[in-house]
Amino acid sequence: MRAKSDHASGGSAAAASAASPPSEFDSIDPILQLLRFLPYGFLRPPRLRLKLPSSLALPSPMTVFCLVLLTYFAVVSGLVYDVIVEPPGIGSTQDRSTGAVRPVVFLPGRVNGQYIIEGLSSGFMFVLGGVGLILMDLALDRNRARSVRISFASFGISAIVIAYAMSMLFIRIKIPGYLW
Amino acid sequence: MGAKAENAVRPPSLAPSSSFPFPALRTLKLKTKQQELLIRVSALALIYVLAFAVRLFSVLRYESMIHEFDPYFNYRTTLFLTKNGFYEFWNWFDAESWYPLGRIIGGTLFPGLMVTAALIYRALRFLTFAVHIREVCVLTAPFFASNTTLVAYFFGKEIWDAGAGLAAAALIAICPGYISRSVAGSYDNEGVAIFALLLTFYFFVKAVNTGSLAWGLASAFGYFYMVSAWGGYVFIINLVPLYVLVLLITGRYSMRLYVAYNCMYILGMLLAMQIRFVGFQHVQSGEHMAAMGVFFLMQVFYFVDWVKYTLNDPKLFHSFLRITLTCSISVGALALGVGTATGYISPWTGRFYSLLDPTYAKDHIPIIASVSEHQPTAWSSFMFDFHILLFLFPAGLYFCFKRMSDATIFIVMYGLTSMYFAGVMVRLILVATPAVCLISAVAVSATIKNLTTLIRTKSKALQTVSSKGTSSLKASAKASLDQALPFQRNAALALLAGAFYLLSRYAIHCTWVTSEAYSSPSIVLAARGAHGGRVIFDDYREAYFWLRQNTPPDAKVMSWWDYGYQITAMGNRTVIVDNNTWNNTHIATVGRAMSSYEDEAYEIMQSLDVDYVLVVFGGVTGYSSDDINKFLWMVRIGGGVFPVIKEPDYLVNGEYRVDKGAAPKMLNCLMYKLCYYRFGELTTEYGKPTGYDRARGVEIGNKDVKLEYLEEAFTTSNWIVRIYKVKPPKNRW
Repeated sequence: MRAKSDHASGGSAAAASAASPPSEFDSIDPILQLLRFLPYGFLRPPRLRLKLPSSLALPSPMTVFCLVLLTYFAVVSGLVYDVIVEPPGIGSTQDRSTGAVRPVVFLPGRVNGQYIIEGLSSGFMFVLGGVGLILMDLALDRNRARSVRISFASFGISAIVIAYAMSMLFIRIKIPGYLW
Repeated sequence: MGAKAENAVRPPSLAPSSSFPFPALRTLKLKTKQQELLIRVSALALIYVLAFAVRLFSVLRYESMIHEFDPYFNYRTTLFLTKNGFYEFWNWFDAESWYPLGRIIGGTLFPGLMVTAALIYRALRFLTFAVHIREVCVLTAPFFASNTTLVAYFFGKEIWDAGAGLAAAALIAICPGYISRSVAGSYDNEGVAIFALLLTFYFFVKAVNTGSLAWGLASAFGYFYMVSAWGGYVFIINLVPLYVLVLLITGRYSMRLYVAYNCMYILGMLLAMQIRFVGFQHVQSGEHMAAMGVFFLMQVFYFVDWVKYTLNDPKLFHSFLRITLTCSISVGALALGVGTATGYISPWTGRFYSLLDPTYAKDHIPIIASVSEHQPTAWSSFMFDFHILLFLFPAGLYFCFKRMSDATIFIVMYGLTSMYFAGVMVRLILVATPAVCLISAVAVSATIKNLTTLIRTKSKALQTVSSKGTSSLKASAKASLDQALPFQRNAALALLAGAFYLLSRYAIHCTWVTSEAYSSPSIVLAARGAHGGRVIFDDYREAYFWLRQNTPPDAKVMSWWDYGYQITAMGNRTVIVDNNTWNNTHIATVGRAMSSYEDEAYEIMQSLDVDYVLVVFGGVTGYSSDDINKFLWMVRIGGGVFPVIKEPDYLVNGEYRVDKGAAPKMLNCLMYKLCYYRFGELTTEYGKPTGYDRARGVEIGNKDVKLEYLEEAFTTSNWIVRIYKVKPPKNRW
């Protein structure tokens, strides 16, 4: 139990007993008297190993955040759609005049449909935009070296610009009547 | 917060009072705190009005009518409620749908929406506004969307600060993910349910933050409202225990969490049992067991913690802990095992199980798999519904992880779980929208605060240097200037302009999406005519009104289940199956009738007492959501119950065709005959042969359709809805 928890005061007697030297069972709280002997009187405590191994600590917030970002990338690229509907990686269409087979990257005709590669590239663009904003915030940290801060800021700004431009391009290709 | 505090303590000599434009109005000059309050309140008021106004496209374009299919059922029940009162409504058995089974409406619906609309109607009538209940129903969803923006403001204020609250309110007011289900006319459960969801979460987070019993009670009542409004309350009852578990694991627990969760769970559970449709599911259904498990775990956890505090003896406590753990784990496992084995605790239902295992519905439950809203989500749907929020979401998560508190942990968990579910089912983008908007608002607020701080610090340093002028201050100012990035102020101004540009593009996108994609009433179709003018197809209402006027009052109408609610609400006739889809065998019977030859279908129709058959056909107009395109689902569902219907009989080489190369069973089944009766004589497009189906883009195979047991009763002006009368059996052999 970590120090962050604040404990309940079980009864006024418990508070009184806390003032006196510890490990003295001189309280008038009946439950405490019961607890002294009740379970151990006729039960023998089972031999359990209760200590968690010390290497099993909670991961740091930033580790969890990286995992979260990966999960977000998977979900937003339509991974569940890919698993269930099993579309091809990239579509193909036959050129009517020459008969050659041309690849089609974006599935036309529907808003809720995709090929695998278009999903992954769009998901990457979204994550790039998010990472750009994060880099911009990291650039304001006064404890880093100045050159690092400048590179963070420039990467961040260019990442956002590229991500937004590409996402707009993708959606315009996908939905021909977009913002008409 | 820092910038605002600076403002308040700035010495008055620096305030430019001499440059105040209208000296006469100097008496009206507000203090900074009042200015800030005025800006906030006026911004919220504008956002409230905006959220209502942006949802009114279809009311302005067409008329004030109810959209889609499900809202017609809600409208019919609200009408019944206002006419006959609450007790009749609560005990209503409806013989007009699912003939001959009937439906216990009082026990199988979520009454929250209807009761809310009826209360608003009564309130307006009390104030002597003579409104019709239909207008109230149409405008309920936008009204509650506006209220949701207010709740989002308070929630944002709770997790971050007032600036984030305002940003959250603005983002959620126009977010297309929410607008899609709360546009005016979409009188559906979700319109009210999202308000209840956000309210419950806000009250609960407030209860955890303050530890007050009053907020806990408020969250229990918010949960009751949510349970009465929508089946998605299962999300709340699973997310909140998960959140409690995470707080326990990370050590962020205290008496506040204990009070908040206990109050909400126990009172919420008792209140939820008042809804007949939910019944005793909170103690019997597998989906609700997580909450109960966490409840008992919490009792054990806090008990052990309290004993440790009072005992003050580590060795004795250790043995006590071992005994307690063994007992509680064994009792819990035993209870769970006995409950599941005896069947008292029912397993997860198909609808919710398919969220955890998305491949389940495709293989096992074709009815769930056939609904287009239940398909998994592609990237373009996310982009369509969220736009730049998809960039702001990971950035907002980063800010929440950077400054962790109980409230930010909650919003992060809500965001992640709801985004996963949104990825599994398109419809659930709606549940993810509040979380995405809130987290994005955190990112917007934090980024803009950073940028404005950059712009302000340099000017403040310059001002102090100029006013004081001592050497030590100059040195420290220079040092701080050295640490700053080059061209900091200009870059920050440019970035601020860029942020403004991005947010304005978001607003343009949302308005375009609302206008083009989410404001169609579905019951009235519109298309662009040959010369660019708009053509309106009002065939559905034409057909239902014909049914209402020209058929006997006890006539029974057989159609595919999509149209059931509309036929009962507008046509006022009994239907065989409707959108409730509670009886799969009954639907399969109708599917079998539609896919059989005419004589077999006639026997089935006689057994169901069918008088009229209604089909939807889009071949003349090019309308693609007609019954021929849905036909394979009829075959699959019918074949799932009656093995005599086999799907390969209707396909040619695995392909579904209606032209000359189609399967013979397809060309002679009832659905084909009813859709294409007399169609072979019609020229639909200039330059194409007669009988050219514009929706499939082919010339039909069987042009000479003859009906033996049915006769055509009515076809609408654009051939979209066709009604046939079932002939009585012949008198002589």
